[in-house]
Amino acid sequence: MSAIDPVTLTVVWNSFVSIADEMGGALRRTAFSEAVREGEDFSTGLFDRQGRLIAQGNFTPGHLGAMPYAVRNALRYVPPEQLEPGDMVVTNDSFLGGGHFPDVFFVAPVFDGARRLIGYTVNTAHHVDMGGAHPGSEAVQGVTEAFAEGLRILPVKLVRRGEFDPDLLRVILANVRLPEKVRGDFLAQRNANHVGARRLLRLYAEYGENVIESAIEEILRRSEARARELLRALPEGTYSFEDCLDDHGPGTGPVSVRVDITIEDGVATVDFSRSGDQVPAGLNCYINYTRAYASFGMRIFAGIDVPNNAGIERVIRTVAREGSFFNARYPAASGGRASCQIRIFDAINGAMAQAVPERAMGAFSHWANPKFGGVDEATGRRWIMYDLILGGFGGRSWKDGAEALCPVFNCANVPVEVHETGNPVRIHRLQLIQDSGGPGRFRGGCGLRKDVEMLSDGATVVLLGDRHKTAPYGLFGGGPGTPARTVLIRDGEETELGSKEVRRLRRGDIVSFRLAGAGGYGDPASRSREAVREDVRDGFVSREAARAVYGATDADLA
Amino acid sequence: MQIAFDIGGTFTDFALHDPADGRVAIWKVHTTPREPARALLDGLRARVAAGGLRPEAIDAALHATTIATNAILERKGARTALVTTAGFRDVLLIGRQKRYDTNNLHLDKPRPLVRRADTFEVTERVAPDGTVLKPLDEAEAEAVAARIAGGGYASVAVAFLHAYANPAHERRMAEILAARAPGVRISASSEVAPKWREYERTSTTVANAYVAPLVDGYLAELGRSLRELGIGAELSIMQSSGGLVSVELARAHPVRIVESGPAAGVLMCAEVGREEGCGHVMTFDMGGTTAKLGAIDDGVPATTPSFEVDAVNYRKGSGLPLSVTAIDLLEIGAGGGSIARTRMGLIAVGPDSAGAEPGPACYGRGGTEPTVTDANLVLGYLNPDFFNGGAQRLERAAAAEAIERAIARPLGLSLEQAAWGVHSVANASMERAMRIVSIERGRDPRRYALVAFGGAGPLHAGRLARALEIPRVVVPRGAGVGSALGLLTAERKVDLGITRVLRLDAGQSEALRATFAELEARLAAEARRMGGKGELAVRRSASMRYAGQGYELRVDLPSGPIGADYAATALRVFHDAYRREYGYNDPDAPVEATDWYAVATLPGTRAGAGFRLDGGAGSGDPVVGERLAFFPETGGMTPTRVVNRYALAPGQSVAGPALVEERESTTVVLPGDRVSVSAAGNLVIAIGDAR
Repeated sequence: MSAIDPVTLTVVWNSFVSIADEMGGALRRTAFSEAVREGEDFSTGLFDRQGRLIAQGNFTPGHLGAMPYAVRNALRYVPPEQLEPGDMVVTNDSFLGGGHFPDVFFVAPVFDGARRLIGYTVNTAHHVDMGGAHPGSEAVQGVTEAFAEGLRILPVKLVRRGEFDPDLLRVILANVRLPEKVRGDFLAQRNANHVGARRLLRLYAEYGENVIESAIEEILRRSEARARELLRALPEGTYSFEDCLDDHGPGTGPVSVRVDITIEDGVATVDFSRSGDQVPAGLNCYINYTRAYASFGMRIFAGIDVPNNAGIERVIRTVAREGSFFNARYPAASGGRASCQIRIFDAINGAMAQAVPERAMGAFSHWANPKFGGVDEATGRRWIMYDLILGGFGGRSWKDGAEALCPVFNCANVPVEVHETGNPVRIHRLQLIQDSGGPGRFRGGCGLRKDVEMLSDGATVVLLGDRHKTAPYGLFGGGPGTPARTVLIRDGEETELGSKEVRRLRRGDIVSFRLAGAGGYGDPASRSREAVREDVRDGFVSREAARAVYGATDADLA
Repeated sequence: MQIAFDIGGTFTDFALHDPADGRVAIWKVHTTPREPARALLDGLRARVAAGGLRPEAIDAALHATTIATNAILERKGARTALVTTAGFRDVLLIGRQKRYDTNNLHLDKPRPLVRRADTFEVTERVAPDGTVLKPLDEAEAEAVAARIAGGGYASVAVAFLHAYANPAHERRMAEILAARAPGVRISASSEVAPKWREYERTSTTVANAYVAPLVDGYLAELGRSLRELGIGAELSIMQSSGGLVSVELARAHPVRIVESGPAAGVLMCAEVGREEGCGHVMTFDMGGTTAKLGAIDDGVPATTPSFEVDAVNYRKGSGLPLSVTAIDLLEIGAGGGSIARTRMGLIAVGPDSAGAEPGPACYGRGGTEPTVTDANLVLGYLNPDFFNGGAQRLERAAAAEAIERAIARPLGLSLEQAAWGVHSVANASMERAMRIVSIERGRDPRRYALVAFGGAGPLHAGRLARALEIPRVVVPRGAGVGSALGLLTAERKVDLGITRVLRLDAGQSEALRATFAELEARLAAEARRMGGKGELAVRRSASMRYAGQGYELRVDLPSGPIGADYAATALRVFHDAYRREYGYNDPDAPVEATDWYAVATLPGTRAGAGFRLDGGAGSGDPVVGERLAFFPETGGMTPTRVVNRYALAPGQSVAGPALVEERESTTVVLPGDRVSVSAAGNLVIAIGDAR
């Protein structure tokens, strides 16, 4: 019997989670960049005085598992004894932090009235730009090492006693393309940590140190036990899967993605060591990033229903050979590593399908995450348009894949009307692609087509996509989706672009994104005739494809 | 006299106000879901027969209804088509694409009200500034209209890109539809919700189209029924925004009445706040399946420019967005029927609910899982013999058995500790929601009163107030028919919003004048349709942000003529509001205004405000007994005084712990708090006053 009663423990635990959520609310509401405010590409966390993660806000999983390491690393550079109330340690280092420069971590110590350290409030947000070769600091092509990716901030006290260090801030803002947005998001990040600290202090005051400390121990212990129990329920063994990324830029070959997942005695080891080597392009995954999505994948497949914390981190181990694509060594370039998260999940999905087929799904459509930018001729203003084009889910074991829903990480799109209002672009279409979804007993979601026209000369597009060369796989007899294409339409002429190119654009150019369809699940011949008929009626599937792929008869389609 | 009626899911509530003496009579009948008008007529007829109602004396009939909500929740609206800009047929299917639960890959998006097969594209294009880039293709429009005419549709929504900036194409499309497809109801996005963000605007317009035919028929039927009874007075309908409108306007914009009933409930709280001298009120309505929390600042209910309907487990992003002004209510899955269970040695409550059938274990109707109500019974807060005024008996043994089996034994707790756990965990989730509504939105709870209603609200309000340091709880009289009473105090008003994205600097006063002139001309037209004459009292507001931000802050702007310094004033108002909300501001950063709002209040409103309810005589000893109830402050089960609310006279007070019983609910007064009845007849708990 623990020292703390179940009622108090429930309430304290809920409070920790709600503090992390509240921090996220504050961050989102006051942030400037689209990635944060519309995309929720940020995380918040609450750490105890030992630097253990107690609760994490339910935002992007992209920092699951990464945040504890980032905090530990930050505190190695600026140890707790050098911290004062109101200080915040800031870093964006790819290796120490979230895997690429745009993710900036703010680590704030929380002190009680007697100036004793009681814990940390932490958040990280994806910034619109950190300088470097191309707008958005996420280019793949031509970026061979981190030095070309922008400003690297090793852990520094950017906030001292609640105020930004003006000198440091000047250095940082001088290196980024949209300093006012970066500054705005910095303010929001500071704000979020303040909000969290205030609540944490109140909680301490209400329950007292002893109760809180024993609650923390109990939370971590029970979380670990629960996660182990769920992992134990999976069949033990090693499950492997192989997939690949298109390339690491035009003219290059595929990057092999190989995973071996071992489930043993309530612990999952996710090993990417057999994958390819790190590449001379801005696509590599530092181990923190690999860990984030490996954790997320195992959370899904084990059905872990406990909010993330250090207890759960103990039972999901992520391994990758040093120098491999998934454990890159500094100064590997990594700006566009976000394009790998879906593939990390797809690989885990393919492996775990062998262990728990009912929890698996066909591969995702993947996405396109282009950044357009330049100087608007009409206004003279510098602009960056961050876009997220999100396709469908693979067919699932008991229903079709969802159409046009964000896979893996979790972001909202940006409305066409908002994009057109803020940027010199015109969007000609945003629609599902007929017959693109992988056929199956349960059909994969359709790909999405979006055509974006430049209204200003001298723009650049930094493409970040995949699945141009290898189609999203189907499972258990389900077919693959159609592969993706990115097409430049100039003066009526169509040119195929690579999934990770950087291109100069002219006024009137249209970049047409055509995402892959997602993979199907199960034999298409066993799909219900009613579902086939309804798909034809709604135009997801053409009559021709219904006949050819699903074997539909005229009577089926009547 | 005014008659107000609120048709809810279970009960149809009535309030009849006699201005001669200010008295209000209240009663309720069971709702008849298939033909809502029948319960209404029954309830009125019975009153007429009993001599309590003279139809010819009624000069206003005020109504709140769930008809539009239910049509959406049950997907029972009209067969509806959608017409979009070519290339954007999938706007509803694509939506905003975010999963409402990050850790669930087996979830689905909300099912749109219009399926893909019923969506048609027409070539046309308007730029963000309203410039026509591509004229409407008339031949295509004619062809689409012909298909809609022949397709068996009862309603059609038209939503073109940037139509908020220039409605010409939508209007022309509507003309063509009206000519080609007579009898099909037409809703255009530039009329229904002229705001940017195409998914939200289209979703709103489609919802409007989807419920319009049903609401048409319903309101026509209602009018007929009232006339049959001899009530010739004009019918007014409550909108989600808390304003009453004429039947004609309600039919023109039926999507605006989706949150009709809950809005009226908040108005009742505002009236109670006025009676008790507090302009700042947090509202707390806890019923069987959910709790709804809202706020009133300076007597004015907080509103939101958009909300969601048909959400999954009340999770944000899981429902259909509606861009219409509504009284801002945060709804969570914590009600009396919420089911409690253990997980990982902890207690979890909700969001699933035992509902009314089978209901909590103590209802004895086959429910076996323990609920919040079962916990409240075990804790002694509820009187098994006086639930719903004695209309229903509660079985304590069944409640105890359920809690013992599902909570106490697995956790090694005593029965009372387990029940206390369920009660506290439910409180904790409400506390979290209340924190969002108050602190996170810049409201200091210490300056607010908490008005609690709904069957379970008064049981939990005291703890909630303590957790948030709210000094005073008010339990209104007549809380059981709160929405009907709220209707009596409602204003007749029309409100409109429009998107015009504008970089706001001090030189922009002329643009502001033009925008408000346009908005207020529309308002005046709507007011005329409601029979409003003379000068309108107009209140203005705008959504603004620092250029580059994606979330706007809505701020009130001055009324009256717009002079050369108006834009500068607007800027100052925004910077101040921003600082209030977020603790800092950036006076040098450029400001953008996106949405503009105007609300006009018509004269002759709030007819029934300041009413008096017939209630307790306040004679005799209000303390009618004693029973054991659980209070950790006093070491557990404690002999607690039971007070008959109807016998409590103004001026009398009782120190906690105490339980105040009335027909609709029981109020728990905690040790250290003190309860009394105000002159207006409301129960008022002073938190910490008896310490």
